[in-house]
Amino acid sequence: MSMIDALTGNECVAEAVRLCRPDIIAAYPITPQSVVVELLASMVADGKLGSKVVDVESEHSSMSVVKGAAMLGKRVFTATAGQGLAYMYEPYFSMSTMRFPMVMTLACREMISPGTVWCGLQDALSVRDAGWMQVFCENNQEILDMVIQGYRIAEDHGVLIPINVCYDGFYLSHQTERVELPEPSEVDAYLPPIDLPQYLDVNEPAIVDPNTVGSFLIRYREDHLACMQHAKSVIADANREFAARFGRDWGGLLGSYRMEDADYVLVTMGATTGAARVAVDIMRERGLRMGLLKLRFMRPFPDAELADMLRGRRACAVIDRSVSFGWDRGVLSVELAAACGAHGVELPVLSFIGGLGGLDLRTEYVVRAAEMLADAPAYLKDGAYWMNEDFLGEELGK
Amino acid sequence: MNDNEYRVVWGKSGLYTLETSAWRTFRPQIDYSKCVGCGTCLLYCPLCCIGKADGRIVIDLSYCKGCGICREECPKQAIDWIKEAR
Amino acid sequence: MNTVDYLASREDLVSPGISACQGCMAELSLRVLLKCLGRKTVLVVPPGCMAGAGVGGWNKSMGVKVPCAMPQLGNSASMLAGIKAAYDLVDPDVHCVAYAGDGGTADIGLQALSAAAERKDNIIYVCNDNEAYMNTGFQKSGTTPHGASTSTTPVGSLGRGKLNFKKDVPMMLAMQNAAYVATLSPSYMADFVAKVQRAAQIKDGLVYLHILNPCPTGWGCQGSRSIALGRAAVRSRYFLLYEYRDYRFEISAPTRAVREPLDVGEFIRGQKRFAHLAEADIDEIRRVVQQRWDKLSRLAAE
Repeated sequence: MSMIDALTGNECVAEAVRLCRPDIIAAYPITPQSVVVELLASMVADGKLGSKVVDVESEHSSMSVVKGAAMLGKRVFTATAGQGLAYMYEPYFSMSTMRFPMVMTLACREMISPGTVWCGLQDALSVRDAGWMQVFCENNQEILDMVIQGYRIAEDHGVLIPINVCYDGFYLSHQTERVELPEPSEVDAYLPPIDLPQYLDVNEPAIVDPNTVGSFLIRYREDHLACMQHAKSVIADANREFAARFGRDWGGLLGSYRMEDADYVLVTMGATTGAARVAVDIMRERGLRMGLLKLRFMRPFPDAELADMLRGRRACAVIDRSVSFGWDRGVLSVELAAACGAHGVELPVLSFIGGLGGLDLRTEYVVRAAEMLADAPAYLKDGAYWMNEDFLGEELGK
Repeated sequence: MNDNEYRVVWGKSGLYTLETSAWRTFRPQIDYSKCVGCGTCLLYCPLCCIGKADGRIVIDLSYCKGCGICREECPKQAIDWIKEAR
Repeated sequence: MNTVDYLASREDLVSPGISACQGCMAELSLRVLLKCLGRKTVLVVPPGCMAGAGVGGWNKSMGVKVPCAMPQLGNSASMLAGIKAAYDLVDPDVHCVAYAGDGGTADIGLQALSAAAERKDNIIYVCNDNEAYMNTGFQKSGTTPHGASTSTTPVGSLGRGKLNFKKDVPMMLAMQNAAYVATLSPSYMADFVAKVQRAAQIKDGLVYLHILNPCPTGWGCQGSRSIALGRAAVRSRYFLLYEYRDYRFEISAPTRAVREPLDVGEFIRGQKRFAHLAEADIDEIRRVVQQRWDKLSRLAAE
């Protein structure tokens, strides 16, 4: 039986970690993730969690500690955000390319400069090509559920790739929502027992991560990419069984809302999706056939799935909480364009960038984007519309 | 479980060994008429290729790089320095 | 058993043919270290001379006969801490050992090392101090001595080699109260072996072993001279042998035995990296060597 509780996103992470019982935890506190580290420390101090906690002095060390522990086939956990992720980049890349599975949560934070500690997805999206899987959550229940699913997906023997469970800093990390907490026995039944190889065995000495030649490395990357593609079916299976056991179906790679007959499609990630649901309802009330696609997994990227969902629609609008430097668009917009191009889907795409540096991605903004989407040909342009304080125009703005 | 050899970078396919003896221009040779078996050369050989057999000091030249530490450190000047023929 | 018989009886756990230079003391120190610790050892070797020489393996072949992993340059201590944390769940008696260069220790790896010492992680961290980034071509490190010419502190019409003094990492670790700190020289093998054996017995925190390994290629001298150079470093008190444990310093026998120290100039002359030094520069080094000795004497007398 699940228990109902009111929890913040950070509390959901800690509760999920308690349920997944990693062997080793090493995390360094950083706004807006700090509460996760505090709560895990409290759980261990209170005897509610048996994990060994290594209290590190930096994110570079937190990832290095869990990487070392992963060499002995241990289940490990860490969490970070923003600058911490940037500081951790060296062992972060090595963790995934060593193919050590783990879950790392990211309370997503805008990257400096200018100085900021507030929300933005720029931290996670800037490292989308570092070999990790990345899933973005809309609400606190999804955070909790995806940490649990994350271990199952990452530790699958056909995947063996670590995963980032990403959620909007402050908007989700600090906001309290109703959450259903599964029983430990239910999670134990859902997660396979830890069955990961030990590479540093004194009885059977081996070399781990030696220098290699390019002819080896290129095949190694080939396998990594192939396993990333294979992960798509593992993600779908994990979602299906989770839905059967816990009654919550998050959709796997993509979530959708009122898409059956939709002519116009809003595409979002993370917490922005909540506002987009409201916008879709408002547009439906006005008689417009509008739907919503929520991109859940940025890696592996659901290119074919996304293209199929967009095929035959009249137009779509992408709302990004990030930028892609060098493109005049956000990251999701660029990725979506690539997927459509690769799969022969042609439709007008409007790009919006908002919510940077903790800026509120207000429902009015998303509704305005939906209105523009409904009149897409009139608003087509190269580059993105910026959801800054001038976005609504004088009559709608302050 | 890692049936795919390109999945995790690890392995135990033997020792990596270079034929470092090819670096030598001189080779050490113990003059047993002078050697007192003190083992100073054994202590200091960077390759640990000097050992003891039947109470005598012996040099295994398989990998010896010819650095000359054994000759330099020998308190009895009991190590001859032989030019390698090429 | 005397040191010769002990070492002759121990198994060499390093590949017989690694590409360390002729007369490399880092190679000797690593071989002796592993001889003393034995097969129940896990080794991490970050980028540096020993990894470059093949100890870190090549493709899937191994450079050592114990499990070995290559961390990045700056995270030897933290990755090893993770390995140790996991080994504590499996077999706490396995020695978890890092063999890192002076750059990976005194420069980029210092933060992780200091944190591991603070946490009392029971790892054996060994610094192979050859006084520069030798593997990649003699770039200056935090432990490069004053006056030394390196590829990044070159001597020129204005340049005079490194202008600052050597970072004293073992003293830093002692001041942090690491469980056991010792300085070692392969030129004094009985002392070397005793310290590694003692390190293997320490179970209550971080062990830090700092080895001055003369580097013929980087220092600019004959390979056959490296043992003699290490001896001169100790006899001139350029390098001080001591141990630290439980808030007590103890000066080791080879350094204690130095009653009339050799002139530091005797150590410096014959090394190409110091060839440009004028007598006044050497005087400056003499002054610092004296100060360091005075400081250690006071600490050991307490």
